[in-house]
Amino acid sequence: MTLATLLPKTNSLARSIACGAALCAFIASPAYAAELRIALQDAETGQPLENAVVEVSLPIGLQPQFSAAADYSVDQVEKEFVANVTVISVGSRVNFPNSDDILHHVYSFSPAKVFELPLYGNGQSVNFSEVFEQAGVVEIGCNIHDWMLGYIYVAQTSLAVKTDANGQAVINGVPAGEFKVKIWHPRAPADSAELEQTVAFDDAQASNLRMALTLERDNRLRRAPNVSRTRYR
Amino acid sequence: MSRERVIDEVLSAVMAFFSFRSFRTRLLVFLLALLLPVLLGIYIFVNRENNQYTTDTIDSYLELGADVFDFTREEHKNTLLTITSTMTRDWGFRNAFGTGDPYTIIDAADNILLRSLGAADMMLISSMDGEVIIDTKTQGFEHLEGEWMALLEQAASSDSGIGDAIINVLGVPYQITVIPLFLPTPVAWIFGGFPLDNTFTDTVKQSIVSDVSIVEYRNGTPDSADINGSEVEVIASTLRPADQVRLTQQLQRTGMTYTDTQRIILEDGEYGTLMRSLYGEPGAPLQIVAVIQKSYNENIENLEAFQRVLLQFYLAVLALSLIAVVFLARSVTRPILDLAIRVKHIEEGDYGQSVKVRGKDEISQLAGSVNNMALGLAEKEKVRDLLGKVVSHEIAEELLSKKIELGGEEKVVTVLFADIKGFTTLCETSAPEAVLTVLNRYLSEITKVIEDNHGVVDKYTGDSVMALFGAPLTRPNDAENAVRAALAIQECMVKLNSINRAEGMALMEAGIGIHTGLVVAGNLGSQNRLNYTVIGDSVNLSARLEGLTRKYNTPNIVSETCLHHAPGFVYQELDVVQVAGKSEPVRIYQVIGAQEEVTSEQYEKIDVFAEALATYRAQKWAQATQMFENLQLTLPATERAESLYSVYLERMNYLYKRNLPEDWDGVFVFDRK
Repeated sequence: MTLATLLPKTNSLARSIACGAALCAFIASPAYAAELRIALQDAETGQPLENAVVEVSLPIGLQPQFSAAADYSVDQVEKEFVANVTVISVGSRVNFPNSDDILHHVYSFSPAKVFELPLYGNGQSVNFSEVFEQAGVVEIGCNIHDWMLGYIYVAQTSLAVKTDANGQAVINGVPAGEFKVKIWHPRAPADSAELEQTVAFDDAQASNLRMALTLERDNRLRRAPNVSRTRYR
Repeated sequence: MSRERVIDEVLSAVMAFFSFRSFRTRLLVFLLALLLPVLLGIYIFVNRENNQYTTDTIDSYLELGADVFDFTREEHKNTLLTITSTMTRDWGFRNAFGTGDPYTIIDAADNILLRSLGAADMMLISSMDGEVIIDTKTQGFEHLEGEWMALLEQAASSDSGIGDAIINVLGVPYQITVIPLFLPTPVAWIFGGFPLDNTFTDTVKQSIVSDVSIVEYRNGTPDSADINGSEVEVIASTLRPADQVRLTQQLQRTGMTYTDTQRIILEDGEYGTLMRSLYGEPGAPLQIVAVIQKSYNENIENLEAFQRVLLQFYLAVLALSLIAVVFLARSVTRPILDLAIRVKHIEEGDYGQSVKVRGKDEISQLAGSVNNMALGLAEKEKVRDLLGKVVSHEIAEELLSKKIELGGEEKVVTVLFADIKGFTTLCETSAPEAVLTVLNRYLSEITKVIEDNHGVVDKYTGDSVMALFGAPLTRPNDAENAVRAALAIQECMVKLNSINRAEGMALMEAGIGIHTGLVVAGNLGSQNRLNYTVIGDSVNLSARLEGLTRKYNTPNIVSETCLHHAPGFVYQELDVVQVAGKSEPVRIYQVIGAQEEVTSEQYEKIDVFAEALATYRAQKWAQATQMFENLQLTLPATERAESLYSVYLERMNYLYKRNLPEDWDGVFVFDRK
């Protein structure tokens, strides 16, 4: 990784080192060498923004080349979805195992995927996987535990990634050109213009996306206080 | 009328008002004057405190009622929230909502309302930005507006996502709550509501035992019926319809203060009334208030009962006080009246019947003093009485009135000596007891005569009495009184002799000597025992003159000095004598009587005697003897031997044998007493 673009341009030595690093990366990727380096933070607090999803929107014509259906798993541990945000591409299958010793009832009324997996428990031999055919954000919940909220980001292509704890992420293998980049976060207002940026990609140089997002209040339900309860009575 | 006069009249009226006939009345009035203001003050104070207490009680009832009203509303609201919250967790409802089909959703909502057993009456579901999805009340708007939108924003801006408000739903105030529907993110707002209607007010009334009304004000609307420009309507109430009308007529909304208790008169009395705002700021076009009302009747009844008890207590206190005053007054006035009667008796000279002395108080002390005073007075009276018997009344007075001391004063006094001739014979012929009886009778009569003529008996010496005229009190006609007394004694002797004659006792004659002259009058004797008396030559001369009556055979002999002091009587000169112990000759007279009483025969006799006396003094013995003998013949034969004339006849019988000196003055000398 190089931090060349992050450094002041007056520093020529550092810049040459960064260019060299970029060159090495280009050589490693055979077809598409463009790269998007993402660093997001919370505009209000200045803290790194985790679990934000950044997707490069490709024209329909290019999409088939970046199809990357795969199998995923969103576990339920201690009455929470793990991971909280899962990025998949269209056609992927997501498995919803239950690691708790109680039953869960996973459901979604999101337009991208309406489904439910009625009450099932750990180790039950039922099919608790779903195939996500439509791009979009699918909010998953548990009918028993209201506070359980997870997101499955169904991206059109494989060019989507979520930020880590440092608010950083990298998308590799982006074709050269100018594409829209969509940014999503559970608390980011859906209609905000800043969440869709147009970014120019070229193979020689990594593109950068540095943003501070203005977030809305967290509307999720608070977790019930009796989480440690282990017995029914 | 001047101011001072008015004040004087008022003062005298007040004084007249307070001058009571009896001590009891005065005590009563003062007690009442003290007691009544105190009782009245207590009554006013207690009454005021009770009224305040009643007001406070009702106020706190109303405050409590209003709080319970709010609490009940809060509870009801929580129930509503529970219902709607549970509904959002209902899988069937979630599925129904997930379909996005309004008919399915409204059916699900109606189902929930039915199952709420009346706790929820309406439901409205909107999207997160306020698009109406379903409305069980079909109010007709597609997007939330007004209070609905305000409530949505209130919930959206709260941490819990919950909000509540009172919203007018088709003319009825509804308690509305709102919570979000999570699928699993918030996707819709679920509004639930129940009406604040009669059912609700009845529920509250069961809790607070006060009447509850919900009143709506529409202010300034074009169709206002009210004169204030606001239309008042009771939306729900536990009051009867007639009282609801009274409530709307009397309820004051000025300033819309919700802390002051109003007093409103309903059919069965006065009600404390407290308002709570439910909807609309003061001055808003539409305002809804809750009215909590509690009757004062129960407290007023308690108050009246207390007042009755208090009044009865007062009457008892007054009655007891009056009785106590009567007894107290009696305990004071009874001894005082007894004392007054006692003093009256003392005033009248009755010193007996001493007052009973009870206790040691002032009145008892007074009674004791009065008793002692009575004893003292009785003692003094006894002394006075005794003194009056021992000495004459005037002397007793003189002694009692002045400080008694030895010594005296010189004054001219007429002294009268009266003696009983023949007393010796009486003593020889009669028993001693009879003698004493006669003597006492005689002395009593003489004393009475002397005192009747303003004389004072100085002393009794055996059968003779010494009397003073002019001591201790000097009168202008002392000598006359003495002469008159002498004549009266002579008359008295006639009367006494008739009694003696009837009793067979010896007859008696009085011999009286009177002289007027200078004496020393005063207390004579020792320091411990003394006499009021007079001493001096004049006293002796009087006694000598009395003695001379035996020599001259006359009932009385008056000195020339006395004659000069007592004109107006007829005197007959007897002689000029020189008595024992006296160097100066004294011309002596016999008083015959008062001028108007003396008869012409007596006058003639006096003249003849005077002629005979002159003849005698001229030493014409034979002629004088003839004249005296002629005079003697005028007397009864029994008296001729011992008469005035016989005295001269005997004397001349002796004198003519003597060789009298040339300058013989006719003074007869008595060299023996």
